Amino acid sequence: MSTIWRMSRRSLLGSTAALGSTLILPGKAPAQGGAKPFAGTTLNISSWSAPYAKWLQEYLPEFTELTGIEVNYDTPGFAVYNQQVDLELSTGGSAYDVANITFIYTSRWIGAGWFTPLDDFYNDPNKTPDEFDAADFLNGTQLPMRDAEGRTYGFSWVADAMHAGASRFDIMEEAGFGMPKSFDELMAMVPEIHKVKGVSAFTAENHHGWIFPPIMQAFGGNVFVDPPHNIMPALDTPEVHEASRWYVDLQNNYGPDGWLAQTYDQTVNVLKQGRANYCLFNQPFLMQMGAPDSKTKETCAFAMYPEGPKGKFPGLAVHGWGIPTGARNKDASWEFIKWAVGKDLMMRMLEEKGYGAVTRRSVIESPKFKEVNMVNGYDVGDIYLRTIGLAEQGHMAYRTVHVYPQANAQINKAIEMIASGQATPEEAWRQAQENAIADIRRAGVDL
Amino acid sequence: MASAAITSWDRQRRRAFFWGLFPALAVLAVITVAPAVYLVVTSLTPLNLTNPVQTGLDFSDPLRNYREAIADYRFRNSVWVQVKLSLATVVAQVLIGLGLALLLNARSKLLEAIRTAFLIPMVLPPIVVALIWKIIYSPDVSPMHRLLEFVGFPVRSLITQADTALWAIAVADTWEWFPFTMLIILASLQMVPDEPLEAAKIDGATSYQSFWYVVLPYIQPAIIVAALFRLIDSVKAFPLIYVLTNGGPGQVTEVTNYFAFVQAFNFSYWGYASAIATMLVAGVFLLSWLLRRLDQAGQRDE
Repeated sequence: MSTIWRMSRRSLLGSTAALGSTLILPGKAPAQGGAKPFAGTTLNISSWSAPYAKWLQEYLPEFTELTGIEVNYDTPGFAVYNQQVDLELSTGGSAYDVANITFIYTSRWIGAGWFTPLDDFYNDPNKTPDEFDAADFLNGTQLPMRDAEGRTYGFSWVADAMHAGASRFDIMEEAGFGMPKSFDELMAMVPEIHKVKGVSAFTAENHHGWIFPPIMQAFGGNVFVDPPHNIMPALDTPEVHEASRWYVDLQNNYGPDGWLAQTYDQTVNVLKQGRANYCLFNQPFLMQMGAPDSKTKETCAFAMYPEGPKGKFPGLAVHGWGIPTGARNKDASWEFIKWAVGKDLMMRMLEEKGYGAVTRRSVIESPKFKEVNMVNGYDVGDIYLRTIGLAEQGHMAYRTVHVYPQANAQINKAIEMIASGQATPEEAWRQAQENAIADIRRAGVDL
Repeated sequence: MASAAITSWDRQRRRAFFWGLFPALAVLAVITVAPAVYLVVTSLTPLNLTNPVQTGLDFSDPLRNYREAIADYRFRNSVWVQVKLSLATVVAQVLIGLGLALLLNARSKLLEAIRTAFLIPMVLPPIVVALIWKIIYSPDVSPMHRLLEFVGFPVRSLITQADTALWAIAVADTWEWFPFTMLIILASLQMVPDEPLEAAKIDGATSYQSFWYVVLPYIQPAIIVAALFRLIDSVKAFPLIYVLTNGGPGQVTEVTNYFAFVQAFNFSYWGYASAIATMLVAGVFLLSWLLRRLDQAGQRDE
């Protein structure tokens, strides 16, 4: 086992220890005996269109064969999914039997009682076999799925860690650069490689509420004053002004034209086609540069998120399957969750789809994880583990604040206004701060 | 006695009309009036779906949402954006529709085929129209951008520039709906009698004079109806904005219904969003009434 690998494991263990440990005792295995007690049941299941969610669709016939449960499954885009499910959950509707618990909505959806506690399911030996092993999930990925009393409402299927990737590392090498380790190195590199062979030097998706906070934090700012304890927005600060100036300069001068409208799926395509080079993006998306249909599979490179003046704060999001309170057949829903995040399927998705952002310790510690996460000679698995290790800084706390969606909307608007020249950073963030406070107060929060 | 019989007959007739109309009125009340009443009632509460029990029945400050909306720069801006978008699209759609209707107002199989082809944008699902324009406006994959670059006139992404984004939406909306105005005006043109046109020709009128003094007065009511329909419908310009710009960059393309949508669907502020929607509906009613009055005044003058 390599030194890097040992370091990664230490990092992983360190992070999970820092986040706290959970004692979950799995019960006895139920007698399956080939019986299909839910045969004929139909489940409505939805998640946003993440790579995992789309790959999972290919395995659904196996679930139906195994349990006799039919599945209506859909994977709309991120924003559409969140709007649809938020509305459905808020009305106590029964349209969904299983739904993804989106990271930025974990606090809101779980806190409002819109999801079902799963403790009685996974602790019941008649419903859950020992092999499910709830304690096998990384504690850090399960924390957002719990309420203040420690009840579990979801099981995570992804730890969406933000990495750096390059689709045309050959261009960077020819210009004498490696993967930048810092924001300064990045800024020094982009003028030298921009439009070389027609490739834009930099790109990122237009969900600024996801891409920008790590930059904001790297300059010493944050979304809230001291999340989750003090949730007064902290958008109008010199650090945030400086960070936005840096980011908008980077995108406007070295990003592709139209970057403000470039969604995550478009960004993946841009990278796979090699039309833009260096990117700060989620691991499952970046990994697609190494896919067989990618034009950049032999020129791509991966690295840790670069360090800013105040440190390194890559985004880390967790999404998990849960059962809405209004679901009509919760036992059948639980059958799906057990299967979808079971050890077997997660391992198979790792092997067969190259799914590397897994959440089970047993899968991460398997030799296959390292093997699959070697992409074009880069140990992406190690980058992934070291990124998760950075979670112990607690920098992702801002994202679990129940009124984060309000701040998220203002961050998106502010970046757009600065990038399109409608406002200076000072003007845009002052307006964002005022709007965020007004929107959060409308939710009944005393600031 | 005769008068009493007439009154009785009249009463019976009214009753028959009422019961004949009753099923339709009942359906209308259920699907239109009841939701509208609910909308107005909701707008008087701070209803937030994360806490519906406490907020849904709180009528302690019923005008709070309205006060906050009027004081909210984003709401006022969204109304101004809506006004600009509506004026631009309605004027463009009427002018293009009129021009094409005049060109296509003749009997020939070729022109019939062209007319049918022009109707395609209008019958496409709005989301498909939005996706077509998303491709056209994405520099990365856009045939328009590639063509302009090829001929030496490269342009930057139109939907991400503050000074072009709204007009890019207006162009897409005009493309989608000019067939509607064209169709109405064309139908009206085909009703213009030949005699006055022949008389004008004998009197030596030019084509322009024939159009201005003979044809236009005939088709004017149709133009006004088409414009009115489009004006009311322009308030619903949602799919294009949702797919192309999300109301951005910043708030440049954030029309009022999109702003209400964000408040309701992103933040669950249904009371606030209902107040915005109520004001929007009131505005559309007011506009329709005003235009109708103007039209009636015009007809009286004639």
